[in-house]
Amino acid sequence: MNALPSKPLPEIPELTRPFWSAAREGRLVMQKCSSCGTVNFHPKPWCIECGDRDLVWTEMKQEGAVYSFTISHSVAMNYLGWQEELPVVMCLIDIDDGARMYAQLTDVAEQDIHVGMRVKAYFEPIGKEAGIPKFRPA
Amino acid sequence: MRGNVAIVGYGRTPYSRLKPGEPVLTVDEYIAWAAELALESAGMSKSDFDGQGLGVSHAEVAHTVNWSAATAENLGISPNALIRGDQGGCSATSMLIRAAALIEAGIIDRALIVGADTPLSMPSIAPGLPLSPERTRGVYWDFQGPFGVMGATAQFALVLRRYMHEHDVSPEQLGKVAVTNRYHASLHPGAIYRKPFTLEDYLDSRMLSDPIRLFDCVPIVNGGLAYIVTSAESAKTITDRPVYMLGCGETNNFYCGSRVFPDVTVTGFSQSAPRAMEMAGVEHDDIDFLQPYDDYPFISMMTIEDWGFCKKGDGGKFIEERDLRFDGDFPLSTDGGQLSGGQPGGANGGFMPLVEGVAQLRGEAGDRQVKDASIGAVCGFGGIPYGRPGRSCISIILGSEA
Repeated sequence: MNALPSKPLPEIPELTRPFWSAAREGRLVMQKCSSCGTVNFHPKPWCIECGDRDLVWTEMKQEGAVYSFTISHSVAMNYLGWQEELPVVMCLIDIDDGARMYAQLTDVAEQDIHVGMRVKAYFEPIGKEAGIPKFRPA
Repeated sequence: MRGNVAIVGYGRTPYSRLKPGEPVLTVDEYIAWAAELALESAGMSKSDFDGQGLGVSHAEVAHTVNWSAATAENLGISPNALIRGDQGGCSATSMLIRAAALIEAGIIDRALIVGADTPLSMPSIAPGLPLSPERTRGVYWDFQGPFGVMGATAQFALVLRRYMHEHDVSPEQLGKVAVTNRYHASLHPGAIYRKPFTLEDYLDSRMLSDPIRLFDCVPIVNGGLAYIVTSAESAKTITDRPVYMLGCGETNNFYCGSRVFPDVTVTGFSQSAPRAMEMAGVEHDDIDFLQPYDDYPFISMMTIEDWGFCKKGDGGKFIEERDLRFDGDFPLSTDGGQLSGGQPGGANGGFMPLVEGVAQLRGEAGDRQVKDASIGAVCGFGGIPYGRPGRSCISIILGSEA
């Protein structure tokens, strides 16, 4: 078996490259439909509301609210590199004027986490071409 | 299509956790074993399916892209129609609907439907990542794994947490589902875990992805299942105990509310169940048991709600107030479900509610037989969409009379 990275790395086709490149530079972008204005996430081949293929990568606000959260105490169906970060606080975050996304919440005491909590993005590089957004309490 | 087809035979192989000394069977062997049990149960032979239908569910270990045709080759059956189940936990029920439509159209008269998987024998691309390569590639996975999503339990924990924010449900209420399933498993010789546990045991079980505990999760097993569906006319000549499909409803990629910010606490059963009940012409009080797709106890609870057995948000209270045992006033997962029975791969657990529903309506459920059962509700629930609970939700009403 080939040596694996400690955490999974995305493949980067042209469809999703703008997201990873922007995150590498500390920006959060999502596809906005040029026809109906719907923000699509994760990246889609056409707008899931109206079917228009003209989706424009658009800079999003870096703030949102916790829609839901879970505290993972063990690594399952993921790479063992997560072990050192356990417990991992995983959230669904509703980005203001954007869309909903999975993201990790850090720098927070477990007892303080709640649905509706205001959070702010920060970015960590993963490899040369990509970054990953994570969130902290706003 | 009401009553146009019936299930006339079914099979469920013993499951394996690959304990030392247990034989390690391939997926093809499990398929053949399950098919053999179904054929025996119907008094049929494989040659009865030449020129007819063969349905094959997806397997994580499928060794070719032509999985249904390759299975026909392995079994030595030459069907006129192949049905491929690729809807995860909805595969078994979706193939029933497809077979019924093919039979209704006169293309075939009968179909053998099989599904097996050996997820415990699958080469893994990473330690702790027991997934076929296809499930770790593509945009869907790229936008989860690297973000730290720890698989199905974390994905479903997010749904449960949101539910807990909007409605009241207690760990004790969810634990009652797990405890009852284990009790039913103690009455099912084929269940993988049969030793009863208590509510305290449930509450003490390790928290995996808060609020989901170890005893909220299904044990993965190797195994296979099969059933035989025929036209109602043929069914009468094959068995004196056909189990008719009275109603069906299917919803895929359901969103409650907007596609961008959906309410994840409502499943597609809210659409598919009313359709199935309307087709069958039955009310809630007519239904003698419910076999949900119990991948987590709270999914059984949300299924109860979305079928309309109680109001949205009252599922926890409903579980607390009703007797969920086979001889109670709301028999639920009478085979022990997947929670205690085992999950033979992500695409084949959905055979279990269907096969148990048929066993109950044929009066073949042994020590866990629901007395005088004549109408039952069974569910398929398949796939995990991004940030939501279930890609496919299928509702089926079965009956011992057409």
